[in-house]
Amino acid sequence: MGMQGDFFQLLKAQGYQFGAAADGSHDPQVTTATTILAFKYRDGVLVAGDRRATAGNMVMYDRTDKVLEIDRHSVMAIAGVPATAYEMVRILEHSFKYYRRTQLQELSFEGKLRAVSKLLKENVAAALAGTGAVAPIFAGYDFEQESAKIYFYDILGAEFEGVEYAVSGSGSPTIRGILHYVNTWGDLPLSAMTEEQSAVQALRLLTSAAEFDSATGGVNREANLYPVVKLITAKGIKTLAEADLKHTFEASVSRQG
Amino acid sequence: MYEEPYKWVEAVGNRRQYLDEQFKQGSPVVALAYETGIVLLTVSKGTPKLYEIYDRLALGGMGHPADLEKLRFSLLEMAHVEGFNRSPSDVTGSRMVKYGIAPLIKQAFEEVFKAPFIVKILLAELGQKSGKETFLSINYDGTFEEGGHSAVLAATKAIEQAMLKSLPDERRSLEQAVGAALRAWALGDRLQGRALEGEAGRGDEATAAPSSSDAESLYAHVRETVAEKSIECAVLDRSQAGASKYRALTPADLGRLLPRDIQSSIS
Repeated sequence: MGMQGDFFQLLKAQGYQFGAAADGSHDPQVTTATTILAFKYRDGVLVAGDRRATAGNMVMYDRTDKVLEIDRHSVMAIAGVPATAYEMVRILEHSFKYYRRTQLQELSFEGKLRAVSKLLKENVAAALAGTGAVAPIFAGYDFEQESAKIYFYDILGAEFEGVEYAVSGSGSPTIRGILHYVNTWGDLPLSAMTEEQSAVQALRLLTSAAEFDSATGGVNREANLYPVVKLITAKGIKTLAEADLKHTFEASVSRQG
Repeated sequence: MYEEPYKWVEAVGNRRQYLDEQFKQGSPVVALAYETGIVLLTVSKGTPKLYEIYDRLALGGMGHPADLEKLRFSLLEMAHVEGFNRSPSDVTGSRMVKYGIAPLIKQAFEEVFKAPFIVKILLAELGQKSGKETFLSINYDGTFEEGGHSAVLAATKAIEQAMLKSLPDERRSLEQAVGAALRAWALGDRLQGRALEGEAGRGDEATAAPSSSDAESLYAHVRETVAEKSIECAVLDRSQAGASKYRALTPADLGRLLPRDIQSSIS
């Protein structure tokens, strides 16, 4: 009975393997995904990510969705190797569902965080071999504490709370400084921003990341490609529609107006 | 002693009798399609009888709670492993029953040295497209039936038939479907009660006079019963956001949806 409701254990009992090391020493061109960010705004947490996936200096895909809904109140944004990250998201999604349905209660927010850490730890061998490194941001609504929260992880599974914001991916050094600046000396701290104001910030931040990091997609207006922006509150997850992002971008981000 | 074929047949016959006995006081279960999904309803005391199995699959059960729990876990494991390894659209009620639990239940029923599952199971599945609902009911011996509009569980086939007949043929609003499901439940429960009372030899009570199935007397029966029990109701709702369509109705939801005659007695 010990680990009742544990989907990952059930998969392993059926012979499923996750995170096996592969030899990455000959430097294969592994596909990676790039800038993701999350910050607390007035009503909850905003999570956003660009759409580009690259392998070395080649653009693999420009419509990647890196902000993935795990259940009605939690989201994982992924940076690193998408193959591993998507598999992790699939395991988490099924784990939370399985727990809820077998135990007839929702897995606690802390329990969800542990599940993310555990998967990353299982993945250490692949992360160190260079073929499976993932550094995600996990954000969700914690009903026990009645607040939306942000956590970020290193590739070994260490867990850190982003009290105000968190960033990950190759474009993150650029926007980390901006976030600090905006939050400390801007007109409004991030936590006081409305949904609209925070959407403007998210688009500006990702556009800045794309400016300095070739592996970040930014906004491609010709192809009508906008970042993925999701908002988490007690009510659930809301995904900003492309039309709204377009409007926000044209009104408050694009310099041509 | 069971090596001889006729003794085995006799043993299975005895087992059938024993199992029929076990369901006589059980609470019937009703599942019915409505405008935007499926509603499941029963009246339970303490342990729940309606459960979420997968994104579009719900379970209703009658019988021993421990056996129901065992089979519920088998279904949950099968559904989630399949949904993960293949895809959520490959998790269908029909596959779960035909290749999953029906053989399990049948085997347990026929292995006369071991204990059978004391359960009847109902699986309701919301199809990908509107109007494509599937209802499966499995008897304690592993036989199952498939339908497209409604399904019920009750102590005997005759009572199940009477309940099914009382359900509307066309899709109604959720409120109307809950009312219809509750009346069907009351009809089933009352017939079971009469069958128990009349066991001394009044014959098949399932063919009750039509006058006794009017809404008023059925609601009176519900009012008598729910004093010490509670109405359990869940929906698989197509309009629900996200992949999981199952939602257990809260007492507040029920307060809004139940017929007025009943509302006063549950609040």
